[in-house]
Amino acid sequence: MLTERIEKARQSYINSKPAISYERARIWTESHKGTEGEAIPIRRAKAFRDTCRQIDVNIFDGELVVGVVGEFRKCGILTPEFSWSWVDREMDSFDKRVQDPYEMTDQQRSYVRENIFPYWRGKSLEEAFLAQLPEDTARVAVDTGFVDNDSKWRQAVGEITPDYQDVLFKKGFGGIINEARQQLSKLLRTSAEDLKKKDFYNSIIITSEGIITLARRYSAKAKDMAAAEKDAERKAELLRISEICSRIPENPPTSFYEAIQFLWFTQLGGILSENPLALNIGRFDQFMYPYYKTDIEKGVMTAEEIQELIEALWLKLSEWVWTISANTAEFFAGYNQFQNLTVGGKTREGRDATNELSYMCLKATETVKTHQPGLSVRIHQDCPSEFLAAVTHLVSKGTGFPAIHSDNAGYQMLLNAGYEPEDARDWNNCGCVVPHFRKTYEWTSAVNINFTAALEFALNQGKSRLTGKKIGLEEKTPDRFESYEEVEAAFYRQFDSLIEHSIIATLLAQRLHKEMVPRPFLSSCMADCMNSGRDLVDMGAKYNIGPVLAGIGLAVTSNALAAIKKLVFEDKAVDMRTLIRALDANWEGYEALRQLALAVPKYGNDNDEVDDIACKMANHYYREGHKYKDINGNSFNTAFMGISNYLPTGKVIGATPCGRKAKEPLSEGVSPFAGTDTATPLAAMRSAAKLNQDVHSGGTLLNLRLTEDLVNTRRGQSNLGAMIQTFFALGAFHVQFNTISTETLVKAQKNPEDYKDLLVRVAGYSTQFVHLSRSMQDAIIARTAHKNY
Amino acid sequence: MKACMGLISGYIFELQNFSVNDGKGIRTVVFFAGCPLSCQWCANPEGLYINRISYRKETCIQCGRCLQVCPCEAAMDHQGVPVWGKCSSCGACAAVCPTGSRKALLHQYTSEEVLRLLEKQKIFYRYSGGGVTFSGGEAMLQKDLLRALVNQLYDEAVDLAIETSGYFDFDEVKDILKKMDMIFVDIKHMDRGKHRVYTGIDNQLILKNIARLKALKVPVVIRIPVIDGVNSDIENIRATAAFAKANLDDPKIELLPYHMLGDAKYEALGLEKPNRSFKTPSPEYLLKLQRILQREGVEVVSYR
Repeated sequence: MLTERIEKARQSYINSKPAISYERARIWTESHKGTEGEAIPIRRAKAFRDTCRQIDVNIFDGELVVGVVGEFRKCGILTPEFSWSWVDREMDSFDKRVQDPYEMTDQQRSYVRENIFPYWRGKSLEEAFLAQLPEDTARVAVDTGFVDNDSKWRQAVGEITPDYQDVLFKKGFGGIINEARQQLSKLLRTSAEDLKKKDFYNSIIITSEGIITLARRYSAKAKDMAAAEKDAERKAELLRISEICSRIPENPPTSFYEAIQFLWFTQLGGILSENPLALNIGRFDQFMYPYYKTDIEKGVMTAEEIQELIEALWLKLSEWVWTISANTAEFFAGYNQFQNLTVGGKTREGRDATNELSYMCLKATETVKTHQPGLSVRIHQDCPSEFLAAVTHLVSKGTGFPAIHSDNAGYQMLLNAGYEPEDARDWNNCGCVVPHFRKTYEWTSAVNINFTAALEFALNQGKSRLTGKKIGLEEKTPDRFESYEEVEAAFYRQFDSLIEHSIIATLLAQRLHKEMVPRPFLSSCMADCMNSGRDLVDMGAKYNIGPVLAGIGLAVTSNALAAIKKLVFEDKAVDMRTLIRALDANWEGYEALRQLALAVPKYGNDNDEVDDIACKMANHYYREGHKYKDINGNSFNTAFMGISNYLPTGKVIGATPCGRKAKEPLSEGVSPFAGTDTATPLAAMRSAAKLNQDVHSGGTLLNLRLTEDLVNTRRGQSNLGAMIQTFFALGAFHVQFNTISTETLVKAQKNPEDYKDLLVRVAGYSTQFVHLSRSMQDAIIARTAHKNY
Repeated sequence: MKACMGLISGYIFELQNFSVNDGKGIRTVVFFAGCPLSCQWCANPEGLYINRISYRKETCIQCGRCLQVCPCEAAMDHQGVPVWGKCSSCGACAAVCPTGSRKALLHQYTSEEVLRLLEKQKIFYRYSGGGVTFSGGEAMLQKDLLRALVNQLYDEAVDLAIETSGYFDFDEVKDILKKMDMIFVDIKHMDRGKHRVYTGIDNQLILKNIARLKALKVPVVIRIPVIDGVNSDIENIRATAAFAKANLDDPKIELLPYHMLGDAKYEALGLEKPNRSFKTPSPEYLLKLQRILQREGVEVVSYR
């Protein structure tokens, strides 16, 4: 049961529309006009401090945790230093676009066009990237859906977890300033290396001053509001907020309330500094627990009051809106900011880590029903059955949460990536399904690679089937392939070429980030950056992990190859020329052939023949990706992540030999193609577990849909728990479930007004169903619902 | 010994993995073909040996391959639909059908083949406390195959359950029953005459067998397929409860409301669907029956 306060805040959250605020961009721009010629880290730090000094401070009715990135309740900001041109191009239709629309007024639009964008012309990251990208890579990798890394040149990176345990809650930003000053005093003015460090430490001092200032402004605001407040209870609350914001985040927190407000200020700082994707909270139940325990023991707060604070944080995390281009929104649908929060698992010492807060987080997601935080759980083989029961109970509520991860697979993935054992044990999720650790700088979703495009190019002389444009490598006409092996080899040639372009695009983006957009605020949250005097972009973190390539369409591509192998070369049921004609005709007039194609066994049914093709592809992908080194000399990594990328990548691909029609979605992560895992979810799990999941250290993702009645009893939930443990015993990393009936989804599509809070699993994350575009909704409905009675 | 077991084979119509309502945990239900009863509402008509080939019109591409191999000229009529009356269920068409529109529903398996198919499921049994449930049809009709499977799985400590009509020669299968972790046995009707009308056979042997189960010390659940218009009257439910109480140490009954999920199978097999006067009882009425059973001193169990 929610308290009246939280329910009111929740209603107001549900009923307010996402709106764009240009305030941050305005202040950022004005600041930059005044710092021309100064060192880049200093300019960015000053722009951040100016923002903290000037941005609107708002405390909404009844709020306990305060702070917002602009003047609106559901608020998105602009970061023209990364890219302004897409905003310029797209903002006239912000409120009309299909996926993730935003409100923006004409006055706002003309203001930014006249006063903000002109300053950034020629200076943004996007412009530098497009100017320097080789022409042949641009043809493959700019807004094509074949290779896509626009979230790395139109946006900030994010993909980071501030270190609350060892830095923020120990020192506070006041302590960080002192440390930076001490370090500055040791630097030589005659050392080139030290000169760079000097800029770094100064930038740290400036951003830390900024966030402290923002908190003090909230303190003053709360005090003012308290003076005017008639209700005695609210007045006391406001005074308490004022007191808390005067102490933190300058000083370490001394109570749960201070700690949670500190956490939110840190998120605000991260957001205002770069509008990041995947600014993770990390292991909330671990680093918050000491405060919880002390407060409960000393009687400072009751468990109910702490539950209310957690729910208040959930709302804050959901109110911030990630401002992204229409293209990015196709890949990351549902206003999702990917602020991952991980609970459960093992401690650094290998003991079970679950505590009261782990359960309270599950409960908060169940009752508040917000799409943030991205709630993830780590499940180990002897995890308390009570915790597993709480997890499956939440699954049965149909929110798509939590994302369920194998504790051990995550540990293995980090060990494989070179982490120390204790740190590997201490992992948390990044974004959706990426195993990650807080002392790390990495790009966990550096570039998306469309596997099915490689097959299309192989079968179509290097051309896109839908546009006829030559994009891939030269290839002979498909009817001249004489064996399946030849088709496969042609596929891998195109595949490797897509990887190569992905690497080229990523290396350029990496270099430009290093040169143009250092990250002082987030670097201050990292112990090793502080010790080494190096920004995150300069490898200041303890761990620097190579960028992750995210593969899309594993199932579709494997199914398609399996169909060619069987129909063309084994059964000789059709010749290649006819099959290609059928694909060109999008199967129209070839319905019988399509039925033959559909009847060829599909990945996701524990059928070795097709699963072997998928397994080989995944291994090849791993080897090919790891062949390359990033600008810091680290190997690239691979992943089968989801996000919503299987939709836009499908839209650019013609009909495929597995029976899929043109423009239909591809498949996500290691999930089967929608609707083709017809055996049992156990068989889908067995197929997915055959892949060597633990080498894909960027994460793997399996989504399954279960009908409600399979999990609406305690007994059903226990069986689900056993299924999950079995899947992990087989070696898999992640699984997440949608448990809403098709009926409910169809109803929600018809009457979105009645289903505003219906959460569904998209891929690696959950979001409000009604916020998804029609085609995205259809794709969710099409996933096979497993029902077995 | 093993080689000898390999020679034992029988007819199975389905190995249904991920079954969660037929005993503890996640299970595989092995459906044996053939049944001594001919219940008018049967949900698994493929177990009755009437017809062993199913046909799905939606995916059939009319390629005609079945026509070429069918020895009975039954593969297709002018509309492209099987001529059921002529079909001998030989399975030749199913073997060549490229879209899986024709399927042989009965499979002849050796015990080793069945065990191999179960192998991949065992990890799910271990984590869920599940196992294998023998069902049908009536598994006891193929007692040699059943015995071979039970002996092997018992030695592997797999949880075993059986769903039986209760119509068998007790002494012949006593060794099998003793190895069960749970026995589900149906009582379709307590009235001898009505039992004969609806199922084609007498209930005396069934009731006698249930009474003898007590000596085996294996937990027993009596199941009633509750059908309005057949056996859902309070008098019959009370009589079943009294019988359970008198004959079992720990009397348990599960009420299984009649469902029409078998209808699609009748269609695919070209069979006439069951009499529509059979009705699913309302949830409220089921609750009422449940209370009556409890008042009679019987535990009501459910695997939902």
